[in-house]
Parts: sequence; C-alpha cells; structure tokens
Amino acid sequence: MYLGFRPEEVTIFGPSENPVGTYQQFAYNLGQTVLRSESESHFFPADWPTFAQLDAWSRRSPRPLARSSRRKYNPGVPEILTQAGVVAHRLGWENCRVPRRVGWLQREVEPGNHFVLYDEEANFIGRARHVMLALGHGPLVFPPALAKAREQPHLADRIVQAYAPKQYASSGRYIVIGSGIASINEWANALDAGAKVVALRRNPAPDEQDLNVPRCLFESRGIDVFAGLSFEQRVAFLGEVLRGTAPTRRNWVDKIVEGRAEGRFEEMIGEIDQAEAGPAGLRVHVASRHGEDPGWLDITGVVAGTGFNKSALTIPLLRRLISHYGIPIESGRIRLKTNCGVPKLDQPDSRLCMMGLTANSVIPHGDTIAGLKYIGRRFVADCARAERLRMRSFASRLSMQLSLAHDTSRALRRVRETQQLA
Amino acid sequence: MCPTVLGRLETRTFTLIIPAVLGAILSAVTGHTGYIVLIGIFLMVGTVLDIGVYPILIKWQPPWLTFVLAVVEFVIVYVIAVTLKVGLGHVDAIWFFWLSWVIANWTKVVIFPIVSLSWIENAGEFRITGWSVPPEMEPLPVVASVAPRAPGVLAREFSAVGEIPEGLRNLPAPSGVHTRPADLDPAARSA
Repeated sequence: MYLGFRPEEVTIFGPSENPVGTYQQFAYNLGQTVLRSESESHFFPADWPTFAQLDAWSRRSPRPLARSSRRKYNPGVPEILTQAGVVAHRLGWENCRVPRRVGWLQREVEPGNHFVLYDEEANFIGRARHVMLALGHGPLVFPPALAKAREQPHLADRIVQAYAPKQYASSGRYIVIGSGIASINEWANALDAGAKVVALRRNPAPDEQDLNVPRCLFESRGIDVFAGLSFEQRVAFLGEVLRGTAPTRRNWVDKIVEGRAEGRFEEMIGEIDQAEAGPAGLRVHVASRHGEDPGWLDITGVVAGTGFNKSALTIPLLRRLISHYGIPIESGRIRLKTNCGVPKLDQPDSRLCMMGLTANSVIPHGDTIAGLKYIGRRFVADCARAERLRMRSFASRLSMQLSLAHDTSRALRRVRETQQLA
Repeated sequence: MCPTVLGRLETRTFTLIIPAVLGAILSAVTGHTGYIVLIGIFLMVGTVLDIGVYPILIKWQPPWLTFVLAVVEFVIVYVIAVTLKVGLGHVDAIWFFWLSWVIANWTKVVIFPIVSLSWIENAGEFRITGWSVPPEMEPLPVVASVAPRAPGVLAREFSAVGEIPEGLRNLPAPSGVHTRPADLDPAARSA
C-alpha cells in the first residue's frame, strides 16, 4: 500500500487473528523483554523514523537516541508489539484477511499466469497473480534422547522447550540445553525464580554476536557476495554462522555472575544421551567429549533451547508443493532462486516467493524483521513492475509514514517503558 | 551500515545538493563566493576520503562514528578554506559548514529512506529495489562437454551392423601372454 497498491488488491490468508500472535506467545514463554534486533527493525514501510527516534519522541527522552548511536538500543517487546498493532489497524490488516489456512496452490495459465488457492479441506478460497509464502517455522525439536523420553507421559511434562510455556520452582534443579539467546533467557528466568541451573551445551562457548548473522550480511554489501555463492556454499556458510550465537546483555551477565557466586549456576559441556524417571522427577545421563562424563543427574526438569526444525518438509503446504511439482530440495532446504522465487512455479509476471527461515539460503537473515522487510520490499517492487503500478508520490509516502509514526507515538505513550538490557 | 565506495559517493553527492543550492543563494545575495566554494571543498575532501581512506579504515560504520568523521572533515575543510583564502570569514565558514552538515545529515536520515525504500539496505547506493543477483545471472556449475560428432570412417568400418571380411575371422588374439609354448602343448606332445 505504501507503494500504491489498494487495500482490495492485497489479501492475507491465515487463521491467526493477530499478525504477531505467534511471536507474542513465544516471547512471553521465553520471558523475553527486548528484541535482539536494533533500531531499524520495525514495522513501518520505510526505515525512518527508526524505533529509537520514535521512542525518544514519544517519551520526550534523548536516552534512546544516545543508546542507538552506540548500538545499545533494542526495541522493547511491548513497544514493538504496540507498533505492530497500530500498523495492522491502520493498514486494514483484518479487513484484508481471509481466515483460512492455504493448503494447496495450483498454477493456472488461463487467463494469464496466476495461482488458485485452496484451503486444507480443498475448498476454493481465492486467486492471486502474485503469492508470498510466509509460513513461519517448522515444529520445535528436542535432542533424540529427550524426544524419546517425552513419549512417556510421566516424563513429557519434565522436558520442555524454551519457547513453550513453563514455570520454575524456587527449589528446583534444572538443566538448560543450548547456547543461543533462548537458552540464555532461560538461565536468567530460572535464576530469577531462585532455582539452580546447569547450562548444558554441546560445544565450547558460542560466538558473541549482537545480531543473528554478521552485521554486513544485513545489507547488500554482504548479500551481494552471499547471493553470488552456489547454493551448497550458501548452506554451508549458514551452518557456520547460525550456530548458537548470543549477545551480551548487562542484566544477564549480572544474574549469571550472581548465580554462580551463590552456587546456583554452572556451565557444562556435554550431551544428554539417556533420560528416565528419577527421585527428583527426572534422571538424565550426560556424556561429554570434552572431559570426564558427568554421569547420571537427578533433576526437576530439562529446558531445551534447541529451536525449530528448519526443514521445509515439516511444513505441510511446502511438502505437498515439493512432492507434486517436483520442486528441488536439498538438506531440507528448497533451492530457491536468487530472488527467493520457488523454482518451477515462480514467473516474472506471476511471482511465487518465500520469506522467513525457509528463505535464508538466499537472504541469510530472512527470519528477522530486517530480513522480512528486505525480501518483502523486493517482492512488492517486482509485483509493482509486473502490474505497471502507478507509484505513490514522495509527498504521499512521507505523509503516510508520518501519520503511522504519529499514531504509534501516541500509543507508545501509554506503554510502560521497557528496561534496556545491553 | 556497511557502505560501499559507490554508496558513499552517491550519498555524499546527493546530500550536498541542498547545501549547494543554499550556498549558491548566499553567494549571490552576499556577493561572497566563499559559501559555494566551501561546499565544493567539502565535496572534494569527502570524495577523496570516501574513495581513499574510509573504505580501508571502516567496514561497518556505527552511528556515533558519523559525528567523529564530521569533526575530522570539518578540520580538513577549514584548513583548506583558510589556506586557499576562499573569501569567507572564520565565523561564517564555521557556521555554514555545520549548517550544511546538519542539512546533509537530515537529508540522509529522513529523506533518503522515503525516496528509496532500499537505500540503507543497498549500502548507501541508489539502486532500483531489486535482488542482488537476478535469477538469470545466477552462477551455474560449468561442465566440460564435447560437441557430438558423426562417427568417423573407421568407426563405420568397424561397425557390427555389416558383415566382417572373411580375413578378420580366426585371427590370433593380440596378447602374447597366454600363448602356450609348443613343447608344452599336450596336443602337440601326444602327436
């Protein structure tokens, strides 16, 4: 709409009543209070004003700007959700939505290239010339020994995902698996509750990195180089840079130092290879390739910060498309074209694109707000060129941006300021 | 931001358009050409730094560095302006430089992201909003191959399709390895 499409030309298919509902739930379950992203990551169409500028203006405080200039500003979760709500409301998200999950896409060539969309019960739900697949992540995954143990009903509740709802007992003993941001959040949450925590990681300490991938990969300078690699080189590179990275957060560090001093926090290198019922609720065997095996441990529960299954085959619609149209896939990743187009179905005059984690073989930060915007902007620009769209004027775009900023600013004033952690 | 050299040059040039217009107006009104000359020096100094210095020293540019670079550029521009006697008083040169810098910076922060949605993502370059590598430019593996050729004369002669000449039948095998010496041949010995 920012470029000039009318609301009736855009349709959103999906059962969720809230565009950021899934993220909101995960953030709540994690106890996440600030985003990992920086000031430019927000939901306005253009990058100005940045979130720090918006926050500073709304609260009449220069602190967000000062922090942003040192790259120490991260939008608060309540603030960014407020902005998402305002933008969704102002752009008529709900009015554009068909509350059905797309179960099948059929490529049609008459009249003109387009797609016919069906829901999961094979009911016709619409037609579209251009389709963006923003299907999110696959299911959460557990290490094999824990996945097997979870099949036993009396153990299932004791082995949880970082992204799942959970609570810690103050006298409890927990193992938190993983070294990414979700795991570190859980160390802090468990320590906050007064519990004892063993942080278990398979490898030695993760790289410290504020963002999900190296900074220059967020921009064309890095993406130009990345996109010039072969698919196999790109996947290998992602495997390297996306292994558990975590930013340093002042509050987390303080909590961990304090927990360690009180004898409530310890790090361990190893893997759980067996799990069974025990007197404390759960008994796990930890094996280590980096020293003496810790052996059997009696604990209250295990929290796995092991994330999502990244295979495209875990997403039903993609699995059907791959199977029916013979879309090339390798190591669970679709071999997307360099414009994020789905091979065999994507055409310049009728685009079928993917965004999010399933597109990070092309755009390495595809599952971040900045990455979603990067892909979305180029997809919409392609659509605008294909449809010969008459673009909005500069004045109209500036006016829309200012109007969105004004409404968000008013809403932000009613939100309690989130404490910065960096 | 991780600006490219081209991105730095494009950004520098376009951000100085408004200050240049302002300088031209001030020069015309006051009769001091120093205003527009100062912008010219600013652009020249910036271009040299953008090509020869910043890309070597700075890969990723955090926001605070913008202010530091501004101070460095001010010192260089000021020294050159004084040395060349551009016809501006010290105070005029100072306030006009900093006013120009503020205008240029606001242009960069506010106007450019609206003019071009992908300006920041494109490392400060004004490209059309498009993909880094269009699908038609995607690198493909190169496999050596030999163009198919019609069979040669000998290949046709050796072909099993036709009858072989009688003289080719019953010829001995080319290998001598398995040739049995005559005195060891049981048939020859019994005879």
